[in-house]
Parts: sequence; structure tokens; C-alpha cells
Amino acid sequence: MKLIEAEGLAKQFKIPLKEPGLTGAVKHLFKPKFQKKIAVTGIDLAIDKGESVAYVGPNGAGKSTTIKMLTGILVPTNGKVMVDGLIPHKNREENAKKIGVVFGQRTQLWWDLPIIESFSLLKDIYEIPASVYKHNLERFTQLLGLDEFLYSTARQISLGQRMRADLAAALLHNPKIVYLDEPTIGLDIAVKERIRKFIKEMNETEGTTILLTTHDLEDIEQICRRLVIIDKGRIIFDGDLHAVKDVFAKERTLHFQVDAPVPNLPSILSGLPNTILDHEDELQFSVRFDRFAISAGEIASHIMRQVQVKDFRIDEPKIDHVIRKVYDGELDLTASGHKGA
Amino acid sequence: MAVGSRWKPRPIRALYLYYRLMSQQLKALMSYQADFLISIAGMTLTQVLGLVFLSVVYQRIPDIHGWLFWEVAFVYAMVFFIEGITSFFFNGMWVIGGIINRGEMDRILVRPVSPILQIFTSHFGIGGIGMILVGAVILYQSIQHIHIEWSLSHIFMLILLLISAVVIRVSIIFASCCQSFWTGSANSSFSHTIHTLSEFVKFPISIYSLGIQALITVIVPFAFISFFPAAYLFGKEGWGTIGAWGPLVAVYTAVMALWIFCSGLKKYESTGN
Amino acid sequence: MIHRKYISLAKITMQHAIAYRFTYFISLIGNLIFILTMFFLWRAIFDGREELSGFTWEQMKAYIFITFLSNSLISWYSETRIAKKIISGEVAMDLLKPISFQKARAAETIGSSIMEGCISAVMIFIILLLTSGIILPGSWMSAAMFIISLLASLLIKFCIVYISSLICFWSTNGIGIAWMRAAITNFFSGALVPLAFFPGWLEKLSLLLPFQGIVYIPASIYLGRLEGMQALQNVGLQLLWVVVLWLAAKLMWNWAVRQVTINGG
Repeated sequence: MKLIEAEGLAKQFKIPLKEPGLTGAVKHLFKPKFQKKIAVTGIDLAIDKGESVAYVGPNGAGKSTTIKMLTGILVPTNGKVMVDGLIPHKNREENAKKIGVVFGQRTQLWWDLPIIESFSLLKDIYEIPASVYKHNLERFTQLLGLDEFLYSTARQISLGQRMRADLAAALLHNPKIVYLDEPTIGLDIAVKERIRKFIKEMNETEGTTILLTTHDLEDIEQICRRLVIIDKGRIIFDGDLHAVKDVFAKERTLHFQVDAPVPNLPSILSGLPNTILDHEDELQFSVRFDRFAISAGEIASHIMRQVQVKDFRIDEPKIDHVIRKVYDGELDLTASGHKGA
Repeated sequence: MAVGSRWKPRPIRALYLYYRLMSQQLKALMSYQADFLISIAGMTLTQVLGLVFLSVVYQRIPDIHGWLFWEVAFVYAMVFFIEGITSFFFNGMWVIGGIINRGEMDRILVRPVSPILQIFTSHFGIGGIGMILVGAVILYQSIQHIHIEWSLSHIFMLILLLISAVVIRVSIIFASCCQSFWTGSANSSFSHTIHTLSEFVKFPISIYSLGIQALITVIVPFAFISFFPAAYLFGKEGWGTIGAWGPLVAVYTAVMALWIFCSGLKKYESTGN
Repeated sequence: MIHRKYISLAKITMQHAIAYRFTYFISLIGNLIFILTMFFLWRAIFDGREELSGFTWEQMKAYIFITFLSNSLISWYSETRIAKKIISGEVAMDLLKPISFQKARAAETIGSSIMEGCISAVMIFIILLLTSGIILPGSWMSAAMFIISLLASLLIKFCIVYISSLICFWSTNGIGIAWMRAAITNFFSGALVPLAFFPGWLEKLSLLLPFQGIVYIPASIYLGRLEGMQALQNVGLQLLWVVVLWLAAKLMWNWAVRQVTINGG
């Protein structure tokens, strides 16, 4: 049996249509009008124990709605959902013992308590045996470097420190599944690295199942092996992450800066196959190219032979780009046969 | 893995968690010492000056509608004694609106503990302690000055009526705070208005017009917090017998509040915030 | 002294008050509950009695409605707005503006008071239509003096609210401070009971404090208990308190800004 299983999961919201102002509010009281909004529809998702899955999509695609249904916060309109043998919204408290949730924007720590006190409250709330608690606390303290602020209150510490503490808080009770909703949003690179390493380690050594939503390419690449893309409430891709990158993230961009305008640029570039020129202004231009057809080195040396280049840089392929293209219908990932069962 | 090793029966576990969460809140509050004292002083001062007002009036007249000073003082003190207990132990209910509005309800729902317990413990009304103390002193003084034939059943009823009063107050305020499930707003002015209705029951309700009497006896039964228990204890004709219904009213309001909360939660589960 | 920028601040706040009408409306109901309680309590107190401490029931009724009017002039919402500004640290932004904090807050408060006062006046009018009505001032002179006295009352109340809000530089408990202020103001201003009811020593003490200018003086002028020269003297006393409190507030502000690191700043 799969650990997480969703079949034909759908959620529809009724949005009240209110006219502005007091009269609108009164009218609505007597004759309410609603608009139906489909948040997700027909979601099929099966996740095995120990998997690490990135769940991505543009804002409003239905990511949070799905996660809220999996955690038991929302009751689905249609379809079946089963998490480790339980229906989450029907056995919310039982289900809650097995999961850990990190909402990147909010903290689950108590604002005015020292972090260590928050942890000890969680120990009671989740009924964590003393030995497990002690072991985990020591381990997380070391992995996440919590010792520098363990005795400060959540109010006093920085965002990066708080996020590390929040992550530890979500994992103290050895949950089987951890849902991470944008865990690295707004953090600096060093903290991001640390958090990613920690999540990866927990996934690999403890076999903790990870479901991650994020807009950060690096998060996905470092933590996840499987990619699920959702758009307009539907899953449009479900498959191996590396395959996607190899096959689809083939476009890169070189940006050049020059001292003087180059009028004959198109003709210079015509000598390079599979490239597209984008003018930014007279002194800046960029070249998009297929990395399997031509190398960055070839393009750079070709241009530099004929143009006085002041500076240039290369853009890595962004999974965002690939995903964006998928949304726009320019790429059909399903054609590659990755669509999950 | 984490489950089962230290299993406790549900009510005991709930009480234990309540104690743990509240004592931590208290600890956190203590760190703002000045604020702590200001809250207590503010609440106490309001009530004490209200009583001084009463005594000023009673210097000019012997009774109001047959109620003597200490009898009214008892009614008056009951309101804020009960309010003190409510805000000391259950103040978290005032912030439901904020919890929903800031999206913290999600966090509450992914924890293996009853949401109501988590809501009650999310805030600590330290000012309540002043009201409890002053209230207790006035109540004690009143009882000293009023002639009551104490019997075992009287004492038993007093305790029962006190508990009922707390339940009634908590239930009414809790139910009114649940409006945020539907409005989604953190604004608690509606519940504050309901709360302000308890101004009425600081005095014998026989002074009011029939409409107001009906409002605070039937619709928002705050009169069962102060006036009816007092009338019952002092053996006031007519009103006293209604006082004995207190415990039933408590059960009724508690069930209603629970039902409203559950509907609100259901609404939240189907729409989010 | 009254610069254009302060007038526009007052206007903006008036519009804001309309936007927050629901909250305001609700707080007005709270006020109404309070005043109804007082009304019925006093009715019961006067039940079977002609006169108490020189007040008849008709006069007492008028007194209660004036209390309501004066209490609604600065709503709880306006009152806590200043404290919130300080506690949230938003005051740091105000320090950067080329505007006097005290005058700006006064403009805001008066802006919303005009809004709120009008609504209260309408409500009183409706209640009066429904009930037996209340006595009116004895002369046009008294009526005019009453209006002036009521405006002075507004300024005194603003100064007291403002000074107590400044305490929030030292404490984050705005509500606790507001409670205390409300309790003291209600008691010593005569909002609960006319000061004439107080025992001698308490009455003397209350007359030495600025609070009587908020309810007791305007109400006494309205009822004709203070007339002619006496009324004039009392309005003068109110204005004197406005000046004293205004300067005290200024001193306190300067001291606070120098001493305290702004919360969250």
C-alpha cells in the first residue's frame, strides 16, 4: 500500500459575491449570491514511503489546497484521500500525530517563549517519549546549529533562525510524512543550504517522506527526486526530476555588454545555428541557445572575435522556465512517458 | 513511533496539556512585568470605582427596588468575579478571529490536540487575577452583611451556581467569537458588544423595562451569572425560583456554543480562510 | 497655528471613520448599553423620590444624555489609535514627517469626533422622539455656553487620552492603560454620578482635577446649575486646563522621544 494515496481528489469553493459597501453586505445577507471556483479537480497522487516529492505550480494552481486536504485541514468536495491508512479529515488528530507541517510564512513556535520551551510543549502535545525527544533534540541542535538561540524567544531571533527552529519543531515527533510549504522563502543562501541538507538527511537516513512546495529551483534539485506539476487545479506532470531537466531544460541564455552599439549584430549571429537574439538596449544584448546544439564557449568566442565585449554572463536553466513553458503549452511533458500511474 | 508509549486517558491528558500550555503563557507574560501590573491594576480599578459609585448613591438612599447596598454589591461583584475567572482561564477565545484571520487555524488543525483546548490556551488574561481577588473580597463581605440561613444545600447550590455562571459566560462569549468563522475578520467588536451586555446584569434586573429583561434572561442569558443566583441565595420572591434553573441554562448555552463552534469549524474545513 | 496640513489630516480621518463605520457603530451600541444601564438605574433610584442632591429626575435624565454625548465624542477606536501607533513602532515614521505629532493626533481625533459626535446627536434625537423628551437649556445664552463648554471638553479629553497613550512608550499594554484612564475619567468627570452626590471631601478633590471639565461642567451649564458669571468662569477653567494639559503633553512627548527607543524600531 502507498503511504499517500489520492484518487480523483477535487475541491470546489463557493465564493460569496458581495457588492461593495454596507448595502452590499445587507443584500448578501438576504439574498446571497455565490460563484463557484474550482481549486483542484481530479487529482491522482500516490506517494511511497521514503519518497521526496516536489509539488510545484504557479500561484493559485491548487498546491496549498491539495496539501490542506492531505493534512486534514480541508474536506474534499469529491474523491478519495488516504494517508497511512487513515482518511485525514475524518481522523484529524490521529493523522496529526504522524505528520509534520512547516508553513514557510508562519511559525508554529510560541512567540514569547524560549525555543526550548516551545519544544518541550510540543513534546507533551505529541506525547514524545523522553528518550526520543532527547535524542532528536541533540541531533537537530547539531545539524541545524540551534544552540546559539535555543534560549531566545521566537520573537527575538532572525527569520533564518526561526525557520531552522520551526523545521526542528515539525520533526521532533519523528513524523512519517513532512509537508513543507515554501520552507526557504526569504532566507539567505547559507541558511537555505543548511535547511536543504537537513531535509535531505532526514529523508535519506530516517526514510521520512517529504512533500515540498516551493518556487525555488535549488530546493527542488537538492531535495527531491520526483517532480509533480500542478496547474489550474490539475496535475499536468508527474515523474522523475532529472529526466525533466535533461530533456527539457535545454535552453540557456548568454548576456553581453558592449561599449559601443553593434549595428551588424544579426549578421554576426547568423553564423551561429540554433540561436535567438534578444536586444535589450543598444549596449546590451542576449543570445538564447540550445545547449545540446551549441556550447556557450562557441558562441562567446564567435562573438568576441568580431565585437568588443565589455562583460558577459550566462544564465543557468531555471526549472521555473521549463515549468512556465509547460503551463503555456509549449512543452508537453506527458509525451515523454513520465506521467505517473 | 511517537504514539502510544505514554498514553493517558483523554480528559486527564487534556487537563495536563491545559496546565502546561497555560503555565508557559504565564511565564511568557511575566517577562513583561510592567504590563502585567498595568493589566491587573486597570481591571481592578474599573471595578473598584464602580463600587465606590454604588456606595455614593446608597449614601443618599436606603434601597433600590427593595435591594440593599450589600445585596447589589454582591450582584455587581459576581459579574466581575466571574469575568475574572473567565478571562484568567479562557481568555484565548477572544483571539479566534485573529487566529483565523492570520491563518493560524491551519497550524492548530494539524496538531493532535483538540482545537478548543488550543484556542483557550492561546492567550492569558492576566488582568483577571485582580478581578478574581477584588471580586472574592466583595462577595465575602456581602455575604457577611446579608442575612442568609446557611444550610448544606445552600452551600451546594452556591457552588453549583458559581460553576454554572462560569460556563454560561464562557459559552456566550465563545459562541459570539465564533462569528469570525463566517466573517473571516479579526475584528472582535461584535463579541465586545455581547460582552458589554453584561453591564446590564451588574444591577438587579427588576429596574429594567421588559424588553431588556427578556434580552438578558432569554436571548443572552447573562442574568444567570449574577442576578438570579443572588436572588436565589437571598430568597427573593419570584426571581429566586428562576435562579435554580441556572445549571440547566449552563448546559443549554454550552451545547449551543459547542454546536456553533463545530459548525464554524466545518465551514472552515470546507472553505479554508 | 492651524495649518492646512492638519485640516486635511482631520478630513482624512473623518473619511476613515466612515469606512470604519461598522466598528464604530458597534462601539456606539456598547456606549448605548452603558447609558441605558445608567438610565434605568437612576430611574429606579429616583423612584418615589422628588429630588436627590439638588437633582430632579428630569434633570438627571438630561444629565445622562449629556454624558452619553460627551462619552461618544472620542470613541474607543480613536482612543486606542494613538497607543497602537506607538506600540507598533509606526511612530518612527511619524517622526520623519515634517509635522507635529501632537497636533497631527489632535487633528485626527477631532476629525473623527465630529463624525462620531454627529452620529451620537442623531441617535439622541431619535431616542428623545421615542421617549418623553428632556428639558432644554433655560436660555440661548446657556445653550451657546454649553456648546463652547462641550468643545472645551473634547479638547481636555483629547489631552488626557494623548498623555495616557504616551505611556505606551514605556509599556506595551495599551489596553490596560486605556482601561485605567477610562475608569478614572468616568469616575472623576461625573459620568457615573454627578459630583454633587459625592461626600464633601471627594467632591472638593474632584473639582481640583481636570476631569470635571469633560462631563460635569458642560452638563451643569446645560442644566442651568451654572449661570452667567459662574458659567463663564467654569468655561475659563476648562480652557485653562486645555492649555496646561497641552503643554504637559508636549513636555512628556519631548521627554519620551529622547528617553525611549521606539518599540520595534
